[in-house]
Amino acid sequence: MDVEDIFSSRVRMKILKVLAQMGELNVSAITRRLGVNYQTTARHLDVLEAEDILQHKKFGRIRLYRLNERSPKARAIQTLLDAWKESGVKSGRQS
Amino acid sequence: MPQYQNVFKDEAKLDINYVPQRLPHRDGELRLLMEFFDFMLHFPGKMSQRVLIVGEVGTGKTALSQRFGVDMTREAGNRGTNLHYIHVNCREYHGSFFLILQHAITVFHPNFPKRGYSAEELLTFLMQILDEENTYAILTLDEFDSLVLTEGSDAVYQLTRSQEVRQNKPQRLSLVCILRDISAIGQLDASTRSTLQSNIINLAKYSKRQLIDILNERVIIAFKPLAVPEETIDTIAELAYSENGNARFGIELLWRAGKYANAENFDSVSAESVRKAISSIVPATKKSDLAYLNLHEKLFLLGLARLFKDGHKAHVSLAEAEQIYMVACEEFNTEPHSHTQLWKYLHTLSGAGIVKTEVSAAGPRGRTTLVYLPRIPAADLEKELWALLQWKGA
Repeated sequence: MDVEDIFSSRVRMKILKVLAQMGELNVSAITRRLGVNYQTTARHLDVLEAEDILQHKKFGRIRLYRLNERSPKARAIQTLLDAWKESGVKSGRQS
Repeated sequence: MPQYQNVFKDEAKLDINYVPQRLPHRDGELRLLMEFFDFMLHFPGKMSQRVLIVGEVGTGKTALSQRFGVDMTREAGNRGTNLHYIHVNCREYHGSFFLILQHAITVFHPNFPKRGYSAEELLTFLMQILDEENTYAILTLDEFDSLVLTEGSDAVYQLTRSQEVRQNKPQRLSLVCILRDISAIGQLDASTRSTLQSNIINLAKYSKRQLIDILNERVIIAFKPLAVPEETIDTIAELAYSENGNARFGIELLWRAGKYANAENFDSVSAESVRKAISSIVPATKKSDLAYLNLHEKLFLLGLARLFKDGHKAHVSLAEAEQIYMVACEEFNTEPHSHTQLWKYLHTLSGAGIVKTEVSAAGPRGRTTLVYLPRIPAADLEKELWALLQWKGA
């Protein structure tokens, strides 16, 4: 997938933002924070995982997602979101 | 700005959660505890360990285990072994096996979901995490009696046998169980009990001399030089000794006396500051002990406090307690719990050392359970509970 395809989805960006902020969350918790339905979240999580940006750990039925620390793409996204958040704080906006 | 006196150098050193570098008069017990776990440093994964630490309130059980946890984790790290020391106060989690395990898991995964699985699954997840991260854990169950009372044998059996069902896998989970009275494990079935009873460390109550040493150590690190005269330490040690050799009580009193000295702008903590401090606290029962109680335990205790306050009685019957508990429930707009449930609450309160129970000699109507409030002024207790119940918006 091209970078513009990854970043073109508002839901995917929100997932990345919430995981960059919280570190690790299960599908239901991400869904609640995004305010979308479970299937939508799960579908976008699959896309991001297929791109190696996310990884998950499985405990029975529970899947905990986080940014894939070993992935250069995930590290770049984390840096981008941190910079965005920081500039938002400086200008008094919420990122 | 006027200059105010401050007797403290670092009052955090008197906090209940502070783990001192040195534990006066517990060196032997600390060495023994380290000895029990020595294999973990030399042959990690070969076996797991279970140790009981038994002693009255304020005998240093929690401080001992936390000091051990810090030392053991550091020592394991030096040897390249990944070890986590997890300290859980079972009463804080109302003795729930589920919540205790959930707390243990959040050490590794802080955002682990709060529901959607059973306690048995949580134990499996915990072992999975330890395997995946190639780490070992010492799980310390403080106020272990609360878990025994709430969950009975099953939970403890699962914990102690969790390794045995994992044949040919590293032994990753060890247990330290802390309790006030060894008789609490008498409620467990024989096979569960037998898995726990092999290593017991008994902590005797402190003598006055020992309490003076403990207080002196804290004074050095928490107060400015010369801020606490010897006579003050002696007075506090005497009071702590009369509270069953309770060092925790002594340290709390020392902190509070320092606060009174500051409030009056004194440059040292006098015996008078100690007297003022002692009259302001609920002896032998920390406020946090009361905060851990659930709503109905608090209401039951509130009723008891009122019975004792108004009647100048030495004891009351369970039937009387039940009646006034119902009044308290009505006052706080909540449905009263059953007689059987009240029995459990009475056990909890008795286990926490807040009340004492006794079965009367057989009378014309058979035997009656008598409830005593031996150490806490009923008026103070009522005030404290009332504040807690209001605060919780009950």
